Amino acid sequence: MNKMTDGHIVSSYNKDLNHLHQLVIEIKDLACKQILEAAQSLIEEDVETANKVILGDRAIDELDIKADEEIIRLIAKRQPVARDLREIMTIAKVVSDLERIGDQARRLAHLTIRFYDGDANPPNHHLLDDLIKMTGFVNLMVEDAVSAFDELDLTMALDVIRRDGAVSDDFRSALRRLSTYIMEDSRSVGHMVDVVLGLRALERIGGHAKNISRHVVFLVKGKDVRHETLEQVEAEIASRH
Amino acid sequence: MLSVTPNTAGVVTLPKGLVGAGFAPVADESRAINGTVGDITAVDPRMTARNVNVYYGDKLAINDVSLDIGKNEVIAMIGPSGCGKSTFLRCLNRMNDTIDICRVEGEIKLDEQNIYDSSLDVVPLRAQVGMVFQKPNPFPKSIYDNVAYGPRIHGLTSSKSELDDIVEESLLKAGLWDEVKDRLAETGTGLSGGQQQRLCIARTIAVAPEVILMDEPCSALDPIATARVEELIDELREQFTIAIVTHSMQQAARVSQRTAYFHLGQLVEVGKTDDIFTNPRHGLTEDYITGRFG
Repeated sequence: MNKMTDGHIVSSYNKDLNHLHQLVIEIKDLACKQILEAAQSLIEEDVETANKVILGDRAIDELDIKADEEIIRLIAKRQPVARDLREIMTIAKVVSDLERIGDQARRLAHLTIRFYDGDANPPNHHLLDDLIKMTGFVNLMVEDAVSAFDELDLTMALDVIRRDGAVSDDFRSALRRLSTYIMEDSRSVGHMVDVVLGLRALERIGGHAKNISRHVVFLVKGKDVRHETLEQVEAEIASRH
Repeated sequence: MLSVTPNTAGVVTLPKGLVGAGFAPVADESRAINGTVGDITAVDPRMTARNVNVYYGDKLAINDVSLDIGKNEVIAMIGPSGCGKSTFLRCLNRMNDTIDICRVEGEIKLDEQNIYDSSLDVVPLRAQVGMVFQKPNPFPKSIYDNVAYGPRIHGLTSSKSELDDIVEESLLKAGLWDEVKDRLAETGTGLSGGQQQRLCIARTIAVAPEVILMDEPCSALDPIATARVEELIDELREQFTIAIVTHSMQQAARVSQRTAYFHLGQLVEVGKTDDIFTNPRHGLTEDYITGRFG
């Protein structure tokens, strides 16, 4: 329960909103677990865990649908306005981003299967260094973005938005490093392409965390900053209204 | 298990003072009322109220309210019971004059004419600023006579055919003509509640008012009749200026272009309806429209 969801005269309204809010936390927990387990499967060459991640994405999809159903029911029943309306619209968008984060974790798990299942030819582990490093970073961004949503913390939201710039920088640096590997050993091109796809999936997770943080700004300030520059978002957060 | 170690290159310095300070200015700000939040003016005002105070005996019912009512707009006045929204509405055509202990201070103008000028005749004023009440109140006369009553007493017509035209046109505008054209001689009180309310609206517009005041016009109607009246309000806006008091937030959101929120006799906030119902600026407005007002 936070300031956005409580305080209604009709207490069942609080309950409905809180339930929806908790659903977001539940989906986030599941999505982050998927990211970490996908990375774990890569590090430990664990195909079984990778398959578990791929199957586990269905649970996120089901929660995504459940959240949408509850949102539709709540709008029909309560006709929300003002901060309640913003809360519900934000939840719909945050859930959608979390579901896509789950999809990216599944893509990462597919790499493990490509690299280590059966007679597959595993890559040099050095190729995976950037993947592992970025995984921890973007996973924390997702945790922090949803924490900003949960606690209505604009400082945290702004921090996550800024960190997305670092993810993009890391992505480009990783591409440069991989290019040098290819120049040294062109036989590893197939692995490189897979690693780039994995990096791209992680970069997208960072992007979704940034989206969630921008939704938090809308939730708190009532201003849609999805397409604003970082400077504009900073100014909006610093403004009184 | 993989340990989560953020890339330190991504850690950034945050501006100080933002922690916890940025959240929901609306919800965290004091609920104190320091004047009206929002723009009280209209681009093309038909009525202007400035520094209006209304007393019932010694009791201050309206406290320093200033507000424009723009031409061809629907402005909704919302607020909890006893907040003064109906009292303010009734000031706009001096309906409060009928209450002995009521005293109005300040200035209310209709097209630059101060309606509280002592030389002003309230009878033509109430034709210019018509009113529709909560409960449909047709006269115990025929449907035709209900609509024809105003034009007759105000001397707006010189012939029966002219009067017939006004009656037909008014009933058409009120969306009632097709339902009653074959029974104009029947009594108005025999109509359904929704039809009676539309008859009252026809009666109001028959004297060609500039402004129509509506005091909870749908509160006695079923949802279908309410929808018809709301549709009518939207159509009438092209010709008239409408101020509506309603207890239904959804109705205010549906029919109005501007919304004014009253609280304990004060005008707390006024603004575009789209803004008020998505991102109100005052905590009291937000509390009220989201059902948090205790």
